[in-house]
Amino acid sequence: MVEFRNVTKRYSNGTVALKNINLKIDKGEFVFVIGPSGSGKSTLLKLIMKEETPTEGDVFVNGYEVSAMDMYDVPYLRRSLGIVFQDFRLLPNKTVYENVAFAMQITEALPKEIRRQVPMALALVGLSKKANAYPAQLSGGEQQRVALARALVNNPPLLIADEPTGNLDPETSMEIMRLLCEINHRGTTVIVATHEKSIVDMLKKRVVALDKGVLARDQQKGIYTNEDKNSQIYS
Amino acid sequence: MKIRTAKYIVKEGILNVYKNKLMSLASIGIIIASLLLFGIFLLIVLNLDHNTRALESIPQLEVFCNYNLDETLVGDVEQAIREDERISEYRMVTKKEAFNKLKEKFEGNEDILEGYDESFLPVSFIIKLKDPRDSNEIKEKFENMSKVESVECPQRSIELISKASSWIKVISGILIAILLVISIFIISNTIKLTVFARRKEISIMKYIGATDWFIRWPFIVEGVIIGIIGAVVALILSGYGYRALELRLGNDIVSVSMGFFEMLKFRDVVLVLVLFYSFLGAVVGAIGSVVALRKHLRV
Repeated sequence: MVEFRNVTKRYSNGTVALKNINLKIDKGEFVFVIGPSGSGKSTLLKLIMKEETPTEGDVFVNGYEVSAMDMYDVPYLRRSLGIVFQDFRLLPNKTVYENVAFAMQITEALPKEIRRQVPMALALVGLSKKANAYPAQLSGGEQQRVALARALVNNPPLLIADEPTGNLDPETSMEIMRLLCEINHRGTTVIVATHEKSIVDMLKKRVVALDKGVLARDQQKGIYTNEDKNSQIYS
Repeated sequence: MKIRTAKYIVKEGILNVYKNKLMSLASIGIIIASLLLFGIFLLIVLNLDHNTRALESIPQLEVFCNYNLDETLVGDVEQAIREDERISEYRMVTKKEAFNKLKEKFEGNEDILEGYDESFLPVSFIIKLKDPRDSNEIKEKFENMSKVESVECPQRSIELISKASSWIKVISGILIAILLVISIFIISNTIKLTVFARRKEISIMKYIGATDWFIRWPFIVEGVIIGIIGAVVALILSGYGYRALELRLGNDIVSVSMGFFEMLKFRDVVLVLVLFYSFLGAVVGAIGSVVALRKHLRV
């Protein structure tokens, strides 16, 4: 599903964000990518969604060779991904329903399809009643659920979440995580970058830990804490 | 592209124009200004072109005899004209006729001519050539006759006008090109402001898998609408302006230039103006949008 082969990413200012990363994520997995700020979590995700291109090595996502991809194909890669961000990134002048429907409009889906899929996605995240509200009228947790619905409405095989709970209180964070687990149970591969210790420790999923751009740990049913002092400081 | 996508694009484009009223108005104003300037040049060129072409089609010369020739000597000149095979027809302008023409010219101020009669004026012959290319040779030939004072050759002034008009064409071409680049620059800057205001929206669209063209088209539609509105206003303004000029100056120009120069009627130029304005307005608007978006699509 996602594979990194000897991937190194060096930014033009000289910073090495990732060093020789080898990583394989299979279909149906739930993976936490953890590490302190600046450890390369975001770069890893950016390489998957082709926001950045690796300096060395190859990245494969959903059957695309992302590292050698033409810019014109990037939109089609992204349609096979659901992406959720820390800051939700909803369109402020569109209602909840329109925000979710827009992700389908972009793919030139049939209006009939849209009318069927959008309410389903909203029901999944428990926001059917707020379909006509605008993002500004919603709480942070609700906005993130709208973003989740938008990410899921095209039934992508892979969901990527970059600090999805970074702006939310612990209780709401748990809610979002529960939703991500449920989505994973339905067969979607989920990759979550986070530095929220409590959540990682509680869910006991596969943990990929990055430290200064190096893959420090890759552990099934892992927890956040270990000998790494840096990660404790930031956790 | 599917029809529903096209519908979405047009709807978004129109909405954008409406939502960014102030920016749209600024852009429309800029388009109007540059199109008007462009229109002025275009109209000058069109008029010059029309007149040189009209003049070029009359291969005429006027041979003026010495004013003190008597009739037999004038007859010699006439014979020389008659015998020249390159001349298709000729007409003699007598002293009397010439004097009457002069009087017409000074209409209202006839007292200037008081004390004069036709005797100081020369007899002249207006000759038409079979081939206007002979005009220089014929001019030379008659100028060398001792009985001939001078040979007037509108061809000369035609050459002057056409030379001038080709220069004006070159200069106005350059000016128009500069003007277009400037207006593209200004419009792309105004659209850049709306793009900047919506950069988050654009990046969100890119993250959820919108193609560059899906994002670009509504902005292009916006630019084209702005361009077309500008073109329509510019057309109306230049229409009124030209009409007013035509009414004020049309007859003056004809009389000052003694009929050599006439202004084109507005209805003769309106089609050219419509085509140029709408095409340029739309193209400038569209290119402005594309330029404005370039940076923000790289996500």
